[in-house]
Amino acid sequence: MKKTSFWIILIAAVALLAGAAALWLHFHHPDAAVANIYLDGECIRSIDLNDVTEPEIFTVEGEIGTNTIQVEPGRIRVTHAECPDQICVQMGWLTSEGGMPIVCLPNKLVISLDDVPAKIGDAEIDGVVG
Amino acid sequence: MRFLKQAFALTLALALLLLSGCADPAAREDESASRSVFAMDTVMDVTAYGPNGEKAAVAAVNRITELEQAFSVTIDDSDIYAVNHAYGKPVTVSDDTAALLSEALRFCMLTHGALDVSVYPVLKAWGFTTQDYRVPKADELQELLARVDYAKVQCDGNTVTVPANMEIDLGSVAKGYTGDQIMQIFRDNGVTSGMVSLGGNVQTLGSKPDGSPWRIAIQNPLGDGYVGVVEVRDEAVVTSGGYERYFERDGEVYWHIIDPATGAPAKNGVISATIVSGSGTRCDALSTALFILGADGAETYWRTHGDFDYLLVLEDGSIVVSQGIADRFTVADDWANHNLTVVTK
Repeated sequence: MKKTSFWIILIAAVALLAGAAALWLHFHHPDAAVANIYLDGECIRSIDLNDVTEPEIFTVEGEIGTNTIQVEPGRIRVTHAECPDQICVQMGWLTSEGGMPIVCLPNKLVISLDDVPAKIGDAEIDGVVG
Repeated sequence: MRFLKQAFALTLALALLLLSGCADPAAREDESASRSVFAMDTVMDVTAYGPNGEKAAVAAVNRITELEQAFSVTIDDSDIYAVNHAYGKPVTVSDDTAALLSEALRFCMLTHGALDVSVYPVLKAWGFTTQDYRVPKADELQELLARVDYAKVQCDGNTVTVPANMEIDLGSVAKGYTGDQIMQIFRDNGVTSGMVSLGGNVQTLGSKPDGSPWRIAIQNPLGDGYVGVVEVRDEAVVTSGGYERYFERDGEVYWHIIDPATGAPAKNGVISATIVSGSGTRCDALSTALFILGADGAETYWRTHGDFDYLLVLEDGSIVVSQGIADRFTVADDWANHNLTVVTK
């Protein structure tokens, strides 16, 4: 009897802890702002902008050339692109606050914060025209 | 003892509930399926909500590929390529091309040529199709303009004839039509809530899963951020802006929206024209046309036809909005001091 109740208490304690952990993860995402980098629709790298401590610069090879990507704590941008229009460079920083994806059409590169809704002030928006 | 057993059972049930919540997302009404695809010189994001979302999103992407194949001016086995290279002979085109071209020609007529699908040779001369930008001389433009006239394009059922020295391009309406077609695919698949973003165009089906309207931001044509937000249900929102594609020469800015009357970039006081209506094709056609017509022309067109609403941002930073969206447009904080005029009937 004693032995049984010991196991029940132990299992209950473990289950309670696991449940609490699951609940915490479920409701308390620690403000992740994951920037997903896609080349031709395939996610090649994911970076949580709020986890970045050291600035980093790297290049990705797209369809017509390279894009140089710079990451700093809380933000990401394209600094150089081997494409004629340079629109992705002009788009500037995408910050962990959310915003429209950085797109390089010639290289089929997209950098987007898929789980951070874009906002105007405190109000979320569903799409952007322009 | 019994209390412990109950607590244990409860915790286990709770854990299972949370786990199942992760494992079976498709069954929930507010779960979404999304796809991104590169087509028509832009990125298209398709999002469909509800249990049929996944199926609908996949079907939408297939449809986008099919439509791009029909409408592209550069893919050399597209319908448009064929009619542009037939030296004036009739060409049989797909149902989609026939439907879109006849609709586009209707808007060319309604706008008295402010929209003209045959302006393509002029667009090419400016280098907007190749990004090899140049400023054509006046006599070159006059020569090219003699080859621009939508009224000479014949579309009879599925038979299309473009005169030998002319070329057409459906770029000003293709994304709008694609939006309409995706909404149809959503409905066919039992989806009641969804959205597609086609590089500057947005089209929505129904309301958001929680019943609230979709909130669509209009990009600031003068810099970063947004002019404001318009709330829509079951509607498309399309913006044409000079800032989308342009080049600079000797301090002058030249953008890609060409006025068919002059052959030069349209500078009639508008820097951004947004149309809201139930039809993506109409929105797309009119965003270009109203940009070219200017504030007065836009107002006249709206009073005459009125089956849409519009918002213009003018050169001086003032905003003009038609009455149908005035009360569902919220201006952004940093635009609150700009002059805003509501046009009423």
